[in-house]
Amino acid sequence: MKDTPLSNCERDFLLKAIEEKKRLDGRQTYDYRKLKITFGTDYGCCFVDLGKTRVMAQVSCELVAPKENRPNEGIMFFNIELSPMASPAFEQSRQSELSVKLNRQLERCLRNSKCIDTESLCVASGEKVWQIRTDVHVLNHDGNLMDAASIAAITALRHFRRPDVSIQGDEVTVYSPEERDPIPLSIYHMPITVSFSFFQQGTYLLVDPSEQEERVMDGLLIIAMNKHREICSIQSSGGIMLLKEQVMRCSKIASVKVSEITDLIEKALENDKTARKAGGRCGYAESITQERITALKMDETPVEVTDVKETASDIIQKAEPSPHKVPSLVVPVPGVGQVGQGLKNTWGLEEEDDDDEEEEEEEDTNDNGSAEQEEDLTVMEEEPHKTGESREANVVELSDSEEEEVIILHPETPDRTPKNTGSTSHQKGAAKSKKRQKK
Amino acid sequence: MAGMELLSDQGYRLDGRKATELRKVQARMGVFAQADGSAYLEQGNTKALAVVYGPHEMRGSRSRTLHDQAVINCQYSMATFSTAERKRRPHGDRKSTEMSLHLKQTFEAAVMTQLYPRSQIDIYVKILQSDGGNYSVCVNAATLAVIDAGIPMRDYVCACTVGFVDETPLADLCYAEEGGGVSSLALALLPRGGQIALLQMDARLHQDHLERLIEAAMTACKGVGKVLDEVVRQHLQEVSVLTSD
Amino acid sequence: MAADMRLPTIRKTVSLSVSAFDRKDLVVPGDVITSDTGFMRGHGTYVDEDKLTASVAGEVQRVDKLICVRPLKTRFNGEVGDVVVGRITEVQQKRWKVETNSRLDSVLLLSSVNLPGGELRRRSAEDELTMREYLQEGDLISAEVQSVFSDGALSLHTRSLKYGKLGQGVLVQLSPSLIKRQKTHFHNLPCGASIILGNNGFVWLYPTPGQQEEEAGGFYTSLEPVSLSDREVISRLRNCLLALAAHKVLLYDTSVLYCYESSLQHQVKDILKPEVMEEIVLLTQQKLLEQEG
Repeated sequence: MKDTPLSNCERDFLLKAIEEKKRLDGRQTYDYRKLKITFGTDYGCCFVDLGKTRVMAQVSCELVAPKENRPNEGIMFFNIELSPMASPAFEQSRQSELSVKLNRQLERCLRNSKCIDTESLCVASGEKVWQIRTDVHVLNHDGNLMDAASIAAITALRHFRRPDVSIQGDEVTVYSPEERDPIPLSIYHMPITVSFSFFQQGTYLLVDPSEQEERVMDGLLIIAMNKHREICSIQSSGGIMLLKEQVMRCSKIASVKVSEITDLIEKALENDKTARKAGGRCGYAESITQERITALKMDETPVEVTDVKETASDIIQKAEPSPHKVPSLVVPVPGVGQVGQGLKNTWGLEEEDDDDEEEEEEEDTNDNGSAEQEEDLTVMEEEPHKTGESREANVVELSDSEEEEVIILHPETPDRTPKNTGSTSHQKGAAKSKKRQKK
Repeated sequence: MAGMELLSDQGYRLDGRKATELRKVQARMGVFAQADGSAYLEQGNTKALAVVYGPHEMRGSRSRTLHDQAVINCQYSMATFSTAERKRRPHGDRKSTEMSLHLKQTFEAAVMTQLYPRSQIDIYVKILQSDGGNYSVCVNAATLAVIDAGIPMRDYVCACTVGFVDETPLADLCYAEEGGGVSSLALALLPRGGQIALLQMDARLHQDHLERLIEAAMTACKGVGKVLDEVVRQHLQEVSVLTSD
Repeated sequence: MAADMRLPTIRKTVSLSVSAFDRKDLVVPGDVITSDTGFMRGHGTYVDEDKLTASVAGEVQRVDKLICVRPLKTRFNGEVGDVVVGRITEVQQKRWKVETNSRLDSVLLLSSVNLPGGELRRRSAEDELTMREYLQEGDLISAEVQSVFSDGALSLHTRSLKYGKLGQGVLVQLSPSLIKRQKTHFHNLPCGASIILGNNGFVWLYPTPGQQEEEAGGFYTSLEPVSLSDREVISRLRNCLLALAAHKVLLYDTSVLYCYESSLQHQVKDILKPEVMEEIVLLTQQKLLEQEG
């Protein structure tokens, strides 16, 4: 399904806001969205929520024959799936540009940086090695899939435990988790990507773009680093031109962010470990909050309340006293309460000028209560642009009106006015009152 | 491979070059008569052929036309005989698609596409012999081809791959140096303004070395730019002499 | 059938005495032409921080205060009044799309062609339905540029007897920058063939029609067999055109004729050999210089 394009006014609004250093969700330029990491029941399953972007990673392993030119090393395989569940723009066909980009970037970030010791995955040299397969599924696309995917992948790899093996001569025994505890993978460092989006030909920069910001951005710079301040990969994409200073600045920001995120991952892993040890239930099912009304929940926004009292009293003093008293409750019919009398009915009278609708013309409605006719009246009145005190009966008849008879009403007729009191501004009410008058 | 030093004590590399020396660049423009623009470029042992068609009416899917600029369509492929082992899939695999996307991105930044609304520009690059620095050689060859086709560009686009060994940046890596686990940075630069059209780096590098590496890459790109400039001026002289009447 | 094989060598370019003259007005993309802000910017240039910079590789042309850079090779940029030879690519509602080696396909409106029989009437719905009987996809036409749309597409017309559908002949596709602008692009060469030098680089060679066409608008295409002598003349002309194009010689009726005459001593198929090409082109250029001098 083709994605709905962003309208021009939305685009302009976003760009204008970025120029004023404002983001739609209130973040600062270098702020990440709320990052939440949860784990599934099995080892190696990890869910990452980055704002509304939701990504799931699963690691699995298998014993296979190694590649011919690398007999001592295990095989790492990465795959990112963009399913239509994540966004209507994704289609079933696999090789879309975005999917290729994400896959290649994840491969370069994790494989080329040698974050995992592949030699430790070798069981029997030249015959059997472990093939570690990391599948990342995008569950909801709200921008910045790359960061979420990389966090999910590396956390899942840290979380994963592979079965223990022992070799006796030529025999290889794989122990199930019940027989022997599974072993974690040996991971040297944790590379994490940070995405920077550029706007207006590189003048403005934002970290962690949301989906709308991604649509208006000119280009993207992805830096993968680990917490030891080593850069694992840099990739610029989109048709922008960068300057060297911009790249250096981004790398500095990235190092700060990466250390924060790494701490968060470590904490999440610790929590999960303690939860499992304590024998408590853990997993995806636990991470879904239950017994909650599925309504739109918005986080509290902080509001400035320091000088609220003074401002409020100011406003109250400066305001004029309200013109009407609030009328008391009236019960016209059992079961119905009525407060006030409402404005007069303005149906059946069309104004030519729009401004007049805004003015509270109670005199307008005087013309409505025609006692004689029950047909609809189309009377066009030309209103002068005054505040409505002087109302000449300048009536203009509609030439193409199909009404047979057009009643021209005198606006100042006093005896007509009270007829409309007591009725709500409902056509039915007016008709009723008309009928009553007729009788 | 493990025993060979990428940088000897005297400062010589595997092929005898110094750390900041580029490989020999030879290029020719206008090699094909039927294409709008074409160029052949050799950088050391890496040979690439680039062909440009356009701008012309959008073929294929009409829905992809952009109302205010031209669409650039790139395809990168490697000949099956270009690598040491015969390549099974010359194009269509992930690496080639990624390269094509990078090329497209690089040229979208440099070519003035606003002058050709609703048209399409095709750039096809083929690697005939691969000896390291594939992306850079492609970009350089494609730049010459685009200039040959008379398509307006802001400036040349020069690219170079640099690596970092023993605290020294090495300019213009060859295949042996690339494969040795060296952190390599590929940079596509518009020399006059110093603007980076594409930056790509793999393998680990400490943040403090990043600036030096980018500096070395920019210097190397400017060197390549000078060579390309000479080639273009030479070609201009030849062809304009013939058409003058 | 003999097959030629040659070792790859660097071809020497054919150059005359003008090669010593070092052209100073050649620029490459990124070259600053002038920093003076008094000039107006034309095609092939752009302004970068108040400096007028070239965006294509070519020669600088200055007309009073207008500076533009003309690239060496470019797609056809049509102007009103140019004669083009094109091929129909699409039949749409009330118009044909014509491919003319420009950056967008040109448009030939139904109202811009002569109806068969030469009638002058308003085009009806029936005419729209029978468009394909007149011009189909793949047909070649000669036309003139009537106007240029805002995005650069050309609007063509064939409202003259000399334009219309082309019948038997040979099409040679060359670069538009090699065609010289002249008063007329239709020539009947004395060697026995006729030529249409389209401004867009497409050149059409056809046997000189025996009698004047009485049909209107070139609707009638004669399918009578062409004699062998005519065919030879046309083939020789075609090879000469290719030889001249390979050596970047400006094409117009005189240069084509001289080239034809110089090639008479060789066989038709030998003209395409590089050495023979060089020889012929040298002779042609000498003759042309004598002519001017």
